[in-house]
Amino acid sequence: MTLEEINLIWLEGQDCAGCTISIKQASNPTLIDVLTGAIPGLGGLKLAYHPTLMFEWGEDAAKILVDAIEGKYDPFVLILEGAIPEEAKAAPGVYCVIGEYEEKLLKLSDTIDGLSKKCAAAVAIGTCASYGGIPHGNPNPTGAKGLLDYLGKGWKGALGLPVICIPGCPPRPDNIVQVLGHAVLAARGIAPLPELDEWHRPTYLYGSTAHELCPICGFYSGGVDAHAFGETGCLGALGCKGIITNCNASTTWMDGYGGCTRTGVPCFGCADPSFPDTPTSPFFAKAPAGPFIKETMKGTWSHMMMGLARLHRRKI
Amino acid sequence: MMKGKEREITIEPITRIEGHLGVHVKIDTEARRITDAYAYSPMFRGFEIILRGREPFDAVMITQRSCGVCPVPHALASVTAVDQVYGVSPPPMGVALRDLVHGAEQLYDAEVGVLNLEGPDYSEIAVKKFNPEWWEEAQKTKAPGSDVHGFAAIADIMTALNPLAGELYLRSLLVQKAGHNMASIFGAKHPHVHSFVPGGIAKINLSASDVESYLTLLMRHVAFAKELVTVTDDLLDFVLEQGYEDVGARAANLGSVGAYNDPAAYSAKYEEMTDWARKRLVSPGVILDGGLVTTDLVEFNVGVREFIGRGWYSSEWEHEVEADPLGNKIMKEHPWNKRTIPKPGEYGKWESLYSWVTATRWWHWKGDGKNHVIELGPLARMWVTAKAGLVPESTGNSLKFELPAALIPGFKYAGAMEFEWKIPEKPNAVERIRARAYYHAYSAYCMLNLVMAGLELLKAGKADVWTPYEKPKEGIGFGAIEAMRGACSHWCVMKNGVIHNYQYQAPTTWNASCRDPEEKPGPYEEALIQTPITEAGESEGWKGIDVVRAIRSFDPCLGCAVHVHIGKQIVKHELLPFAVPL
Ligand code: SF4
Ligand code: SF4
Repeated sequence: MTLEEINLIWLEGQDCAGCTISIKQASNPTLIDVLTGAIPGLGGLKLAYHPTLMFEWGEDAAKILVDAIEGKYDPFVLILEGAIPEEAKAAPGVYCVIGEYEEKLLKLSDTIDGLSKKCAAAVAIGTCASYGGIPHGNPNPTGAKGLLDYLGKGWKGALGLPVICIPGCPPRPDNIVQVLGHAVLAARGIAPLPELDEWHRPTYLYGSTAHELCPICGFYSGGVDAHAFGETGCLGALGCKGIITNCNASTTWMDGYGGCTRTGVPCFGCADPSFPDTPTSPFFAKAPAGPFIKETMKGTWSHMMMGLARLHRRKI
Repeated sequence: MMKGKEREITIEPITRIEGHLGVHVKIDTEARRITDAYAYSPMFRGFEIILRGREPFDAVMITQRSCGVCPVPHALASVTAVDQVYGVSPPPMGVALRDLVHGAEQLYDAEVGVLNLEGPDYSEIAVKKFNPEWWEEAQKTKAPGSDVHGFAAIADIMTALNPLAGELYLRSLLVQKAGHNMASIFGAKHPHVHSFVPGGIAKINLSASDVESYLTLLMRHVAFAKELVTVTDDLLDFVLEQGYEDVGARAANLGSVGAYNDPAAYSAKYEEMTDWARKRLVSPGVILDGGLVTTDLVEFNVGVREFIGRGWYSSEWEHEVEADPLGNKIMKEHPWNKRTIPKPGEYGKWESLYSWVTATRWWHWKGDGKNHVIELGPLARMWVTAKAGLVPESTGNSLKFELPAALIPGFKYAGAMEFEWKIPEKPNAVERIRARAYYHAYSAYCMLNLVMAGLELLKAGKADVWTPYEKPKEGIGFGAIEAMRGACSHWCVMKNGVIHNYQYQAPTTWNASCRDPEEKPGPYEEALIQTPITEAGESEGWKGIDVVRAIRSFDPCLGCAVHVHIGKQIVKHELLPFAVPL
């Protein structure tokens, strides 16, 4: 497989286009940097199909998918935004059609079945595409699933990589573009293969909880709880789920602005596989106490040791 | 499919819109006119089902996720409804910060709408392909505003709109980021803002420096507004001269719920809504046949009726809410009562049931008692605001305002600029896009005023962002605010502390609505019927550029338009092609 030219085929399933809007906000690098080939090593990427950004429409657009299933767009990376409904539940009707070609409807699930046999790699962007997200919320009226569940944890693309998940509702802009860029660099042998955790998240971005990275975590360790919105302190008593959610958006959102807990918003766990069901919701309900208690027990001892350690002068 | 002189075209997907939308049109190829049109959508998520039994606050987080392009109006309409359900009034600073987040989103959304979503239909590649005679003309036509935007000829503007290559297209992608940055300052993130809570906003360590960061970014939009409006005027005036006034045209039946609350006036209370909604910087109101019939948001709410029409639904639900908190009679089709009960049908039966979008109509209950087909969007709200005379900028037939000077590297015009948006002759594809560009400038102007209001509050020591409350067990609420593409309305009924019924309507729920019980087509359909075909070449080769331009002028967001639900029912027929997005 020659990888000088790589097509990107980006499908939108049961989605809201929020991940697309998010990637347009990336800075390091920007989407334009990537698409215009401004970054060495990332050149030769072509966005062959993207429902919100492409020029073609109608059959011209649908034909690209039909051709890709026949291998005419090899090598390509399949990118999914949004969940996949269970069409059997809708039978003999359908829940999600993404186009029509020669009077035949293209169902999302059939299209993914076809494309997943050919693609070099598959990336699920956002909590919906990764684990089902909002459409999958109880009682899951359409039987929605994420790509990981749909293709299975054992699935591998032509390059030998399993489904890569970038959760978040939507994910932080830089997370998306960096994972995509990194995957391309890895495929070309320029960067190491990304390490994935049990939920298929790249550990270099999702290895820590929102709580571990929380910019106001000092208030937690200092024992200051907020009891009203707008009050400065740890937001745990107001429903923060940062301690059970792996996400780096507690820090900042984009370009140094925003960030959930940094702004004063409890983490609602939108990057967690359970979102929007328990334990992430009800969103104002407190996170399970277990992780806090465990951390406090461990932390109290360590705090004492850390305090004592600071009594010693450093030999420099 | 050819039938004599008639050609039927189905276009699916219509790309460059948020969500899934298809249209089916019949064209008289000899007269080059559309004779009939049906709009539909193919995706279903089931939001309203998912909401039942949850905490009302959770709806604020969940409903905004029906649209990643315009989440804030959903969050804002939802949090307003939940403010009412919980009986809490946010402090002025909470209201001002919500407004600032809303405005930030409108700014980015207008830029993307005009330059990245609609613009490419008028780009060099589109025009050369579909209207080659325009291209000849465009090369010869000087752009009147070139001292502001720097493009010598109209053809240069078209080239600048080429997707992923043109200067305006690419610059818009860069400038719109400032809108997301601004929204993130008080919203924590965007898309999908997390700080809107009943009773105000969750923001810690609020200081003048937050407001100043916002203002710094706002000035980039202020600078860009001058280019955006001038470029849009030049391009669209040229397009009109090519004889484009009938594409997407329909009668002036328009509605607005208003936007940008006055921090001193907003109380969230339904009983005081007439007053606080009239103090919004963008006015609420309804225009029927060109005449303004109301500016009362209570009257608007009471008049909302969601008929099943030609949609695949049953209307067998209870009439539970008989009056609003003021005692006005509430109809069975009103969203406080309406339920979504699917009754799936076969795809493509244009003469019978054909859509998952229902038929929302506005009942003129204080007037002629009829149900009217209303269009929503920037054109509608600019029109209402210009006519209503409720804000100082409104002259009765135009909106006049000025943006200050801003010398910022990378922007082409540094001087102050006066704007006047005039009510056009009729709604059509071109005027919808023009109104979107002017709404960008007007939003930048409103945000400058709100930044000043925020700083005044800080100076006066009124920095509280949230009002504590005791959550009651029962409650009812209505929240409505303008999204970029039109009014976004939410209704919540709470029983035993959880959601008993939650219904919401995106602007597209109105605009993409199907035939109603009186067989009246929805706004998209009305706008398509009688649209002339300007596309070059023989009818066999037509791609439907005029159809696409007419539909995209509404800036559809089908993700939000279709009502959900299939529940346990099984779709009986072979195809159920469109989406049911909510
Ligand atoms: S509980 Fe939330 S606010 Fe508190 S320290 Fe952890 S992440 Fe930060
Ligand atoms: S709510 Fe939590 S999971 Fe979602 S973006 Fe914020 S920090 Fe990440």
